[in-house]
Amino acid sequence: MIRPLFEWLSELSSSIALREAFNVYPWLLTAHVISTSWFAGLIIMMDLRLAGIGNLSTPLVQTQKRLFPWQMMTMVVAFLTGGFLFYGDPMRFYPNFWFWLKALLMFLAAVNAVVFHMTIYKEALEKLEAKLANARSWVSWDFSGVVPHKARVAGFLSLILWAAVIISGRMIAYSALVPQWWLDLDL
Amino acid sequence: MDLLPFFQWMGGIPLSQYVLSHTWAAPIVQVIHLVAVAVFVGSLAIVDMRLLGRGLTSRPLADIARDAQPWLIGGFLVLLITGLPSLTSTALKQYYSPFFWWKAEAMLFGIIFTFTVRRKTILTDEAQLGLYWPKIVGLLSLGIWTSVAIGARLIGLMG
Repeated sequence: MIRPLFEWLSELSSSIALREAFNVYPWLLTAHVISTSWFAGLIIMMDLRLAGIGNLSTPLVQTQKRLFPWQMMTMVVAFLTGGFLFYGDPMRFYPNFWFWLKALLMFLAAVNAVVFHMTIYKEALEKLEAKLANARSWVSWDFSGVVPHKARVAGFLSLILWAAVIISGRMIAYSALVPQWWLDLDL
Repeated sequence: MDLLPFFQWMGGIPLSQYVLSHTWAAPIVQVIHLVAVAVFVGSLAIVDMRLLGRGLTSRPLADIARDAQPWLIGGFLVLLITGLPSLTSTALKQYYSPFFWWKAEAMLFGIIFTFTVRRKTILTDEAQLGLYWPKIVGLLSLGIWTSVAIGARLIGLMG
């Protein structure tokens, strides 16, 4: 079902033009690597704070609020450059184990981020806005290095997932280094 | 001074031979290198953005820089350690690539700039820095290290 879609994409004239354009691929990949490094770097800096192992002098809510627009901006550039790379040669990616693994890991990292923002972080913000001054409340968490267990787990999970996204993304170039069961699928 | 004999020697050392003869050695080194790039870029970016008056502006520059320092240094050390086998195992390719020399020169300039001008700026009382100086330093830092990244990526893609 998916293969015909990839084949159809690869036969579009714009896809062929992108594939055959001189020097477009190296510059697109360079832009993708740089924007991904920015995006992942800013996510890592925020996650270090969330996991309670770095950037502890900045309140967590400040780290989240002030880095978020930059994370989104660099994510858009990474997504667009990555999208063009994919669009330029879909059939190169279709049978690649690491491409699908990267896609799955990105999905899991996004789910982790959404769940964190909709639950733990939302609760912290609401309590901050209510100006609760309890010493063991989320307010104290925001201004101290002490981070609740659930938030630390979300931070560590995000660090692991985004590192795995970077690793699987780099491994796309090593399309032959894949598990035997994947080759047996004969995609 | 012609460095060709030195690069030829690097290509023949046991480390290079190990990387070339073990299928997984190069990819493992490269994925660690890329994760270290993200840590290095993140710790560099939050301070440079702060110099530019963006990002974590609610906290003093010195606090942001002090927090970022171990990740910047740690990330850079991992980059050097993992960059070495990549360099030696493809020594001649690197030697003949104009992008390698672009990267090497930009990196040398970046190291000197980061540990002299940028460091001095970060350690100076913000009130004494003026309006434009921090922005110039932040922009230069981002520009130099982006240039290193461009050179590094193009070695593998355009030779």
